[in-house]
Amino acid sequence: MAAAPWLITTPYWRGILVLCAMNVMLALSLNLVLGYTGQLNLGQSAFFAIGAYVSTILIKTYGWNFWLAALAAIVAAGLVGVALAAFAVRLRGHYLAIASLGFAVITYQVLINWEDVTEGVRGIYGILPPVSDTVGLFYLVAGIAFLIYFLLDNLVRSPVGDTLRAIREDEISAASLGVHSAVWKAFAFGLGAAIAGLAGVFYPGFVGTLVPDAFGIIESFTMMAMVIVGGAGTMIGPVIGAVLLTFLPELLRGVGELRLMIYGLALTLVVLFMPGGIVQAWVAVRNRLRS
Amino acid sequence: MSLLRAERLNKSFGGVRAVQNVSVAVPEGSIFAVIGPNGAGKSTLLNLLSGVYQPDSGSLSFNSADLVGLRAHQRVRLGMARTFQKIRLFRQLTLLENVLAGFHIHQDLPLWKCFLPVAVGRFREEARELLAFVGLEARARERAGALSYGQQRMLEIARALATRPRLFMLDEPAAGLNAAEVEFLLQKLTHIRDKGATVIVIEHNMDLVMNVAQRVFVMDHGVPLFEGTPREVQSNHQVIEAYLGGEFAA
Repeated sequence: MAAAPWLITTPYWRGILVLCAMNVMLALSLNLVLGYTGQLNLGQSAFFAIGAYVSTILIKTYGWNFWLAALAAIVAAGLVGVALAAFAVRLRGHYLAIASLGFAVITYQVLINWEDVTEGVRGIYGILPPVSDTVGLFYLVAGIAFLIYFLLDNLVRSPVGDTLRAIREDEISAASLGVHSAVWKAFAFGLGAAIAGLAGVFYPGFVGTLVPDAFGIIESFTMMAMVIVGGAGTMIGPVIGAVLLTFLPELLRGVGELRLMIYGLALTLVVLFMPGGIVQAWVAVRNRLRS
Repeated sequence: MSLLRAERLNKSFGGVRAVQNVSVAVPEGSIFAVIGPNGAGKSTLLNLLSGVYQPDSGSLSFNSADLVGLRAHQRVRLGMARTFQKIRLFRQLTLLENVLAGFHIHQDLPLWKCFLPVAVGRFREEARELLAFVGLEARARERAGALSYGQQRMLEIARALATRPRLFMLDEPAAGLNAAEVEFLLQKLTHIRDKGATVIVIEHNMDLVMNVAQRVFVMDHGVPLFEGTPREVQSNHQVIEAYLGGEFAA
């Protein structure tokens, strides 16, 4: 990972590397909710947006220090995540998916229409990244992504991980063991939202501008695709998914109009033939080779 | 002394009165059987006791604490555990993970420490002992879904025991088990009682509980029919009628 900027030297591809590190963070954040706690959350793009807008507005309009603004953005996204979970506490499966999708749509509309604060579709321009060169930004974002991986990896192995998986598998059963699932779902939603918000903090500076279109609901589906293609409920799976789904569309740019079709076909094939994602397919192949 | 006491419990679903005016007092340290034909309201009663349902009326107390209004997960902390008629395991998780999840209310690790690479083996030994208790320690690393039906029942019991219950309620634990497995189950229930827990067993087959239960409570069509020792129940006219149908009664 550390060597990537040397192997990839063009500015364009180095930019893709930064994007990739952000996507890893987003996939990890959704995986906590979707993969480990089993909650069909389609609103993750909204938390990404909240992180981006809150930090940018605090920096540009109120002159905050970047890191202080980042902290505020993480807290804001996390609190909204907890609030969404509290609101959706009785919903699960498809109903939760629709409610969280609705939340993402509402957030997008707020970004467009609350022009006094967000500048609406005109967007916010001239946003500076926390470090000026792309390679430095890559190391910063990738380092934070790595730290988050480390923390979440410990979390899912801890007793909290047992509790979250128990909720994913069977909530009634979990309740019969004393698990207050509403509290733990809110915890997973809030933590996942805070991490997505953190990823959002780096996005505006990297692009230089901030417009609502970067946070459409399609972003939620892309994150979900990363988690599922890699392997939901595993730690390394979503990382693989994020890397793959960041680079694949770029590599396919050469084939022009066919790009999105090939991308879509690849996703469909993975879901059809590897329902557990790449990680589970790999485990199955390895077990077959051994026996 | 009664560990669990229910008075005049009622529960209806739409027009169906599933439980009507049921009063029970479960003596501490006993095995208390609830029997009755299909549709007698036994499972509804257990769901009322464990907090899956709230009663429409009536009172309910455990160890003199009022249970009405407390939800299922809150009752577990008071020392009540249960299993389900239709087995509910964490099928994708290993046997060990299933039992470890059962220690939830006893976890005292601060949340922030869960983000650090610390030793998490606090309940592992006890979880393995529980698996050994139900004869499944050799399969600790396998997924729960891979077990046979009878083994799944025993795993569900081990998982519930991880909450360290004072009152353990089992909903038709013998359903679907073969004769050897039933024998094993009854032996384990006696063992759990001997270690100090109070046991409520819901059972469809009355012969099964006759040897292990101290008290037997009989229900039919949502109403209490009879309560007594196994011997009294076996000779009771109404009970025989409920089970065999009116035409067989003398």
